[in-house]
Amino acid sequence: MNDVPEVPPAGEPQPGEPKIGSVGAGVLVGGFALYALYISATLPLGGPTMWSSSYLRGALAFVPLAYYLLMAILLAVRRRTSGLGAGLLIGFGIFILLGGGLCVGALVQAGI
Amino acid sequence: MIGLPFAGNALVHAGMVGLGIGAALLFYAYEKRRRALTDPRLWPIAGFAVAFGAIGSRVLTWDISRQVSLADWWGNGDRSILAGLVGAWFGVHLGKRLTGYKESTGDLLSPAVALAMVIGRVGCLLTELPGTPTGMAWGIVLTPAQAALTGAPAGVPLHPSFAYEIVFHLAAFALMWRFRDRLPHSGDLFICFVGAYAVFRFFVEFVRGNEVLWLGMSRPQLFLLAVLPLLAWRVRRVFSSPLRREMEGTAA
Repeated sequence: MNDVPEVPPAGEPQPGEPKIGSVGAGVLVGGFALYALYISATLPLGGPTMWSSSYLRGALAFVPLAYYLLMAILLAVRRRTSGLGAGLLIGFGIFILLGGGLCVGALVQAGI
Repeated sequence: MIGLPFAGNALVHAGMVGLGIGAALLFYAYEKRRRALTDPRLWPIAGFAVAFGAIGSRVLTWDISRQVSLADWWGNGDRSILAGLVGAWFGVHLGKRLTGYKESTGDLLSPAVALAMVIGRVGCLLTELPGTPTGMAWGIVLTPAQAALTGAPAGVPLHPSFAYEIVFHLAAFALMWRFRDRLPHSGDLFICFVGAYAVFRFFVEFVRGNEVLWLGMSRPQLFLLAVLPLLAWRVRRVFSSPLRREMEGTAA
Protein backbone atom coordinates (compact mmCIF):
# COMPACT_ATOMS: atom_id res chain seq x y z
CA MET A 1 0.00 0.00 0.00
CA ASN A 2 1.32 3.41 -0.86
CA ASP A 3 1.18 5.96 2.00
CA VAL A 4 2.54 8.84 -0.06
CA PRO A 5 -0.25 11.15 -1.24
CA GLU A 6 -0.61 11.23 -4.97
CA VAL A 7 0.78 14.50 -6.33
CA PRO A 8 -0.26 15.64 -9.80
CA PRO A 9 2.64 16.11 -12.22
CA ALA A 10 4.26 19.54 -12.24
CA GLY A 11 2.38 21.97 -14.42
CA GLU A 12 -0.91 20.14 -14.03
CA PRO A 13 -3.63 22.09 -12.18
CA GLN A 14 -4.23 20.82 -8.66
CA PRO A 15 -7.75 19.67 -7.77
CA GLY A 16 -9.93 22.75 -7.41
CA GLU A 17 -7.40 25.07 -9.06
CA PRO A 18 -8.91 26.93 -12.02
CA LYS A 19 -7.43 25.99 -15.36
CA ILE A 20 -5.46 28.77 -17.00
CA GLY A 21 -7.66 28.28 -20.07
CA SER A 22 -10.79 29.29 -18.15
CA VAL A 23 -9.05 32.44 -16.93
CA GLY A 24 -7.94 33.26 -20.48
CA ALA A 25 -11.41 32.56 -21.83
CA GLY A 26 -12.86 34.93 -19.25
CA VAL A 27 -10.41 37.67 -20.28
CA LEU A 28 -11.24 37.29 -23.96
CA VAL A 29 -15.01 36.93 -23.54
CA GLY A 30 -15.20 39.77 -21.04
CA GLY A 31 -12.98 42.13 -23.00
CA PHE A 32 -14.74 41.52 -26.31
CA ALA A 33 -18.18 41.70 -24.71
CA LEU A 34 -17.45 45.11 -23.20
CA TYR A 35 -15.93 46.44 -26.42
CA ALA A 36 -18.83 45.11 -28.47
CA LEU A 37 -21.36 46.57 -26.07
CA TYR A 38 -19.86 50.04 -25.90
CA ILE A 39 -19.06 50.29 -29.59
CA SER A 40 -22.51 49.09 -30.65
CA ALA A 41 -24.14 51.42 -28.12
CA THR A 42 -22.32 54.42 -29.59
CA LEU A 43 -22.69 53.54 -33.29
CA PRO A 44 -25.99 55.43 -33.59
CA LEU A 45 -24.06 58.52 -32.47
CA GLY A 46 -21.39 58.02 -35.14
CA GLY A 47 -19.03 55.70 -33.27
CA PRO A 48 -17.00 55.98 -30.10
CA THR A 49 -15.10 59.03 -31.34
CA MET A 50 -18.41 60.93 -31.41
CA TRP A 51 -19.23 59.85 -27.86
CA SER A 52 -20.00 63.26 -26.40
CA SER A 53 -19.53 64.09 -22.76
CA SER A 54 -23.25 64.74 -22.47
CA TYR A 55 -23.90 61.14 -23.43
CA LEU A 56 -21.38 59.96 -20.85
CA ARG A 57 -22.88 62.15 -18.20
CA GLY A 58 -25.88 59.89 -17.82
CA ALA A 59 -25.58 57.23 -15.17
CA LEU A 60 -26.99 54.86 -17.78
CA ALA A 61 -23.52 54.40 -19.27
CA PHE A 62 -22.33 52.85 -16.01
CA VAL A 63 -25.18 50.35 -15.60
CA PRO A 64 -23.70 47.67 -17.91
CA LEU A 65 -20.29 48.04 -16.26
CA ALA A 66 -21.74 47.73 -12.77
CA TYR A 67 -23.83 44.72 -13.80
CA TYR A 68 -20.83 43.07 -15.47
CA LEU A 69 -18.63 43.71 -12.42
CA LEU A 70 -21.22 42.24 -10.07
CA MET A 71 -21.58 39.11 -12.21
CA ALA A 72 -17.79 38.72 -12.48
CA ILE A 73 -17.40 39.02 -8.69
CA LEU A 74 -20.15 36.45 -8.07
CA LEU A 75 -18.50 34.01 -10.50
CA ALA A 76 -15.02 34.68 -9.06
CA VAL A 77 -15.97 33.88 -5.47
CA ARG A 78 -17.68 30.59 -6.41
CA ARG A 79 -15.06 27.85 -6.43
CA ARG A 80 -16.42 26.08 -9.54
CA THR A 81 -16.49 29.24 -11.63
CA SER A 82 -13.54 31.07 -10.07
CA GLY A 83 -11.36 30.82 -13.19
CA LEU A 84 -13.98 32.32 -15.47
CA GLY A 85 -14.82 34.97 -12.87
CA ALA A 86 -11.14 35.86 -12.46
CA GLY A 87 -10.80 36.18 -16.23
CA LEU A 88 -13.88 38.39 -16.44
CA LEU A 89 -12.45 40.64 -13.72
CA ILE A 90 -9.12 40.89 -15.55
CA GLY A 91 -10.98 41.59 -18.80
CA PHE A 92 -12.92 44.33 -17.03
CA GLY A 93 -9.70 45.91 -15.76
CA ILE A 94 -8.10 45.76 -19.19
CA PHE A 95 -11.17 47.34 -20.79
CA ILE A 96 -11.21 50.16 -18.24
CA LEU A 97 -7.46 50.79 -18.50
CA LEU A 98 -7.08 50.46 -22.25
CA GLY A 99 -10.59 50.73 -23.61
CA GLY A 100 -10.60 54.36 -24.63
CA GLY A 101 -6.99 54.43 -25.76
CA LEU A 102 -7.00 51.32 -27.92
CA CYS A 103 -10.46 51.80 -29.34
CA VAL A 104 -10.45 55.51 -30.03
CA GLY A 105 -6.79 55.49 -31.08
CA ALA A 106 -7.36 52.74 -33.61
CA LEU A 107 -10.52 54.32 -35.00
CA VAL A 108 -8.93 57.75 -35.28
CA GLN A 109 -5.90 56.32 -37.09
CA ALA A 110 -8.24 54.43 -39.40
CA GLY A 111 -10.06 57.70 -40.08
CA ILE A 112 -13.40 56.44 -38.79
CA MET B 1 18.81 65.58 -28.93
CA ILE B 2 16.14 63.02 -28.11
CA GLY B 3 12.60 63.58 -29.34
CA LEU B 4 9.17 62.33 -28.34
CA PRO B 5 8.27 59.91 -31.14
CA PHE B 6 4.59 59.27 -30.38
CA ALA B 7 3.42 62.39 -28.54
CA GLY B 8 -0.21 62.05 -27.52
CA ASN B 9 -0.63 58.71 -29.32
CA ALA B 10 -3.27 56.90 -27.26
CA LEU B 11 -2.86 53.68 -29.23
CA VAL B 12 0.86 53.37 -28.42
CA HIS B 13 0.24 54.22 -24.76
CA ALA B 14 -2.60 51.73 -24.38
CA GLY B 15 -0.64 49.07 -26.26
CA MET B 16 2.29 49.33 -23.86
CA VAL B 17 0.00 49.31 -20.83
CA GLY B 18 -1.68 46.20 -22.24
CA LEU B 19 1.70 44.51 -22.76
CA GLY B 20 2.63 45.42 -19.19
CA ILE B 21 -0.53 43.86 -17.77
CA GLY B 22 0.01 40.75 -19.90
CA ALA B 23 3.62 40.38 -18.74
CA ALA B 24 2.57 40.88 -15.12
CA LEU B 25 -0.10 38.17 -15.36
CA LEU B 26 2.36 35.75 -16.97
CA PHE B 27 4.91 36.44 -14.25
CA TYR B 28 2.20 35.99 -11.60
CA ALA B 29 1.36 32.57 -13.08
CA TYR B 30 5.06 31.64 -13.17
CA GLU B 31 5.73 32.76 -9.61
CA LYS B 32 2.58 31.05 -8.32
CA ARG B 33 3.79 27.82 -9.88
CA ARG B 34 7.35 28.24 -8.61
CA ARG B 35 6.06 28.67 -5.07
CA ALA B 36 3.76 25.65 -5.59
CA LEU B 37 0.74 27.77 -4.69
CA THR B 38 -2.29 25.96 -6.02
CA ASP B 39 -5.06 27.62 -4.07
CA PRO B 40 -7.98 28.24 -6.48
CA ARG B 41 -8.63 31.65 -4.91
CA LEU B 42 -5.36 33.16 -6.13
CA TRP B 43 -6.54 33.88 -9.68
CA PRO B 44 -9.72 35.61 -8.51
CA ILE B 45 -7.58 37.73 -6.16
CA ALA B 46 -5.41 38.74 -9.14
CA GLY B 47 -8.62 39.57 -10.99
CA PHE B 48 -9.81 41.78 -8.14
CA ALA B 49 -6.43 43.55 -8.17
CA VAL B 50 -6.61 44.33 -11.90
CA ALA B 51 -10.29 45.32 -11.90
CA PHE B 52 -10.18 47.57 -8.85
CA GLY B 53 -6.78 48.94 -9.83
CA ALA B 54 -8.36 50.10 -13.07
CA ILE B 55 -11.36 51.61 -11.28
CA GLY B 56 -9.10 53.30 -8.72
CA SER B 57 -6.85 54.80 -11.39
CA ARG B 58 -9.85 56.69 -12.77
CA VAL B 59 -12.11 57.34 -9.79
CA LEU B 60 -9.60 58.17 -7.04
CA THR B 61 -8.17 61.09 -8.99
CA TRP B 62 -11.61 62.72 -9.24
CA ASP B 63 -11.18 66.38 -8.34
CA ILE B 64 -14.49 67.70 -7.02
CA SER B 65 -13.13 71.26 -6.89
CA ARG B 66 -13.05 71.33 -10.71
CA GLN B 67 -16.84 70.86 -10.72
CA VAL B 68 -16.71 67.99 -13.18
CA SER B 69 -19.21 65.15 -12.90
CA LEU B 70 -17.85 61.71 -12.07
CA ALA B 71 -19.08 60.47 -15.46
CA ASP B 72 -17.11 63.17 -17.29
CA TRP B 73 -14.10 62.51 -15.13
CA TRP B 74 -14.39 58.78 -15.86
CA GLY B 75 -14.35 59.47 -19.58
CA ASN B 76 -11.94 62.37 -19.86
CA GLY B 77 -10.27 62.97 -16.49
CA ASP B 78 -6.77 62.27 -15.21
CA ARG B 79 -5.55 58.76 -14.52
CA SER B 80 -2.89 57.94 -11.98
CA ILE B 81 -0.75 54.91 -11.30
CA LEU B 82 -0.68 55.78 -7.59
CA ALA B 83 -4.48 55.83 -7.49
CA GLY B 84 -4.42 52.55 -9.41
CA LEU B 85 -2.13 50.97 -6.83
CA VAL B 86 -4.45 52.09 -4.02
CA GLY B 87 -7.41 50.64 -5.93
CA ALA B 88 -5.55 47.36 -6.52
CA TRP B 89 -4.65 47.16 -2.84
CA PHE B 90 -8.32 47.64 -1.95
CA GLY B 91 -9.30 45.06 -4.59
CA VAL B 92 -6.91 42.45 -3.19
CA HIS B 93 -8.33 42.95 0.30
CA LEU B 94 -11.90 42.78 -0.98
CA GLY B 95 -11.05 39.62 -2.96
CA LYS B 96 -9.43 38.01 0.06
CA ARG B 97 -12.38 38.92 2.26
CA LEU B 98 -14.94 37.57 -0.21
CA THR B 99 -13.03 34.35 -0.92
CA GLY B 100 -11.87 33.80 2.68
CA TYR B 101 -8.18 33.71 1.70
CA LYS B 102 -6.05 34.58 4.74
CA GLU B 103 -2.42 34.35 3.56
CA SER B 104 -0.38 37.33 2.38
CA THR B 105 -0.34 37.78 -1.40
CA GLY B 106 1.86 40.88 -1.60
CA ASP B 107 5.09 38.97 -2.25
CA LEU B 108 3.46 37.20 -5.17
CA LEU B 109 2.07 40.40 -6.65
CA SER B 110 4.81 42.98 -6.15
CA PRO B 111 7.40 41.72 -8.71
CA ALA B 112 4.56 41.41 -11.22
CA VAL B 113 3.54 45.02 -10.51
CA ALA B 114 7.15 46.22 -11.00
CA LEU B 115 7.33 44.37 -14.32
CA ALA B 116 4.02 45.90 -15.45
CA MET B 117 5.34 49.35 -14.54
CA VAL B 118 8.57 48.86 -16.50
CA ILE B 119 6.64 48.14 -19.68
CA GLY B 120 3.70 50.45 -19.04
CA ARG B 121 5.97 53.41 -18.35
CA VAL B 122 7.60 52.92 -21.76
CA GLY B 123 4.19 53.86 -23.14
CA CYS B 124 4.23 57.02 -21.00
CA LEU B 125 7.83 57.81 -22.04
CA LEU B 126 6.93 57.62 -25.73
CA THR B 127 3.71 59.64 -25.57
CA GLU B 128 3.43 61.99 -22.55
CA LEU B 129 4.90 65.22 -21.20
CA PRO B 130 8.38 64.01 -20.17
CA GLY B 131 9.18 66.37 -17.31
CA THR B 132 10.57 69.76 -16.30
CA PRO B 133 13.43 71.52 -18.16
CA THR B 134 16.93 70.16 -17.62
CA GLY B 135 20.47 71.02 -18.70
CA MET B 136 21.40 67.34 -18.95
CA ALA B 137 22.39 65.84 -22.30
CA TRP B 138 19.69 63.18 -22.09
CA GLY B 139 16.82 65.69 -22.07
CA ILE B 140 13.87 65.16 -24.42
CA VAL B 141 13.20 68.06 -26.82
CA LEU B 142 9.69 68.66 -28.12
CA THR B 143 8.68 70.17 -31.44
CA PRO B 144 6.27 73.16 -31.27
CA ALA B 145 3.34 70.88 -32.18
CA GLN B 146 4.26 68.33 -29.50
CA ALA B 147 4.80 71.11 -26.97
CA ALA B 148 1.34 72.49 -27.68
CA LEU B 149 -0.12 69.02 -27.23
CA THR B 150 1.57 68.31 -23.91
CA GLY B 151 1.64 71.83 -22.46
CA ALA B 152 5.45 71.97 -22.25
CA PRO B 153 7.99 74.46 -23.67
CA ALA B 154 9.26 73.67 -27.19
CA GLY B 155 12.95 73.36 -28.07
CA VAL B 156 14.05 72.96 -24.45
CA PRO B 157 15.53 69.69 -23.10
CA LEU B 158 13.12 68.13 -20.58
CA HIS B 159 13.79 65.52 -17.90
CA PRO B 160 12.83 62.03 -19.15
CA SER B 161 11.13 61.37 -15.81
CA PHE B 162 9.45 58.19 -17.06
CA ALA B 163 12.86 56.79 -18.01
CA TYR B 164 13.99 57.37 -14.42
CA GLU B 165 10.94 55.46 -13.27
CA ILE B 166 11.64 52.61 -15.70
CA VAL B 167 15.17 52.31 -14.30
CA PHE B 168 13.76 52.31 -10.75
CA HIS B 169 11.28 49.54 -11.49
CA LEU B 170 13.90 47.48 -13.35
CA ALA B 171 16.18 47.73 -10.32
CA ALA B 172 13.28 46.94 -7.97
CA PHE B 173 12.33 43.91 -10.06
CA ALA B 174 15.94 42.64 -10.04
CA LEU B 175 16.23 43.13 -6.27
CA MET B 176 12.90 41.44 -5.61
CA TRP B 177 13.99 38.56 -7.84
CA ARG B 178 17.20 38.27 -5.78
CA PHE B 179 15.65 38.56 -2.32
CA ARG B 180 12.17 37.17 -2.92
CA ASP B 181 12.77 34.14 -0.68
CA ARG B 182 14.97 35.75 1.93
CA LEU B 183 12.91 38.36 3.76
CA PRO B 184 11.83 37.39 7.28
CA HIS B 185 8.05 37.43 6.91
CA SER B 186 5.50 36.85 4.20
CA GLY B 187 4.43 40.23 2.81
CA ASP B 188 7.75 41.95 3.54
CA LEU B 189 8.70 42.12 -0.13
CA PHE B 190 5.53 44.07 -0.88
CA ILE B 191 6.14 46.50 2.01
CA CYS B 192 9.71 47.16 0.83
CA PHE B 193 8.65 47.66 -2.79
CA VAL B 194 5.79 50.02 -1.97
CA GLY B 195 7.93 51.93 0.55
CA ALA B 196 10.82 52.34 -1.90
CA TYR B 197 8.50 53.38 -4.72
CA ALA B 198 6.78 55.94 -2.49
CA VAL B 199 10.11 57.58 -1.62
CA PHE B 200 11.34 57.44 -5.22
CA ARG B 201 8.08 58.81 -6.61
CA PHE B 202 8.04 61.64 -4.08
CA PHE B 203 11.40 62.86 -5.34
CA VAL B 204 10.88 62.18 -9.05
CA GLU B 205 7.73 64.31 -8.88
CA PHE B 206 10.01 67.36 -8.60
CA VAL B 207 11.07 66.78 -12.23
CA ARG B 208 7.80 65.24 -13.50
CA GLY B 209 6.10 68.49 -14.44
CA ASN B 210 2.76 67.72 -12.78
CA GLU B 211 0.60 70.60 -11.58
CA VAL B 212 1.93 72.13 -8.37
CA LEU B 213 -0.89 72.25 -5.85
CA TRP B 214 0.44 73.45 -2.49
CA LEU B 215 3.82 74.27 -0.89
CA GLY B 216 5.59 73.58 -4.17
CA MET B 217 4.28 70.02 -4.25
CA SER B 218 2.07 68.15 -6.66
CA ARG B 219 -1.02 66.10 -5.77
CA PRO B 220 0.92 62.77 -5.74
CA GLN B 221 3.53 64.29 -3.42
CA LEU B 222 0.91 65.48 -0.95
CA PHE B 223 -0.68 62.02 -0.97
CA LEU B 224 2.73 60.38 -0.48
CA LEU B 225 3.61 62.78 2.31
CA ALA B 226 0.57 61.49 4.20
CA VAL B 227 1.33 57.77 3.73
CA LEU B 228 5.14 57.83 3.98
CA PRO B 229 5.28 57.74 7.82
CA LEU B 230 3.11 54.61 7.88
CA LEU B 231 5.26 52.97 5.20
CA ALA B 232 8.48 53.95 7.03
CA TRP B 233 7.16 52.28 10.18
CA ARG B 234 6.29 49.08 8.27
CA VAL B 235 9.69 48.99 6.47
CA ARG B 236 11.52 49.49 9.77
CA ARG B 237 9.70 46.46 11.15
CA VAL B 238 10.91 44.38 8.17
CA PHE B 239 14.55 45.21 8.76
CA SER B 240 14.38 44.70 12.51
CA SER B 241 14.45 40.93 11.78
CA PRO B 242 17.49 39.17 10.23
CA LEU B 243 17.29 38.02 6.59
CA ARG B 244 16.62 34.35 5.97
CA ARG B 245 19.66 32.59 4.56
CA GLU B 246 17.81 30.38 2.10
CA MET B 247 14.24 29.57 1.36
CA GLU B 248 13.41 26.09 2.59
CA GLY B 249 11.72 24.08 -0.13
CA THR B 250 9.09 25.91 -2.10
CA ALA B 251 6.56 26.71 0.62
CA ALA B 252 5.29 30.28 0.57
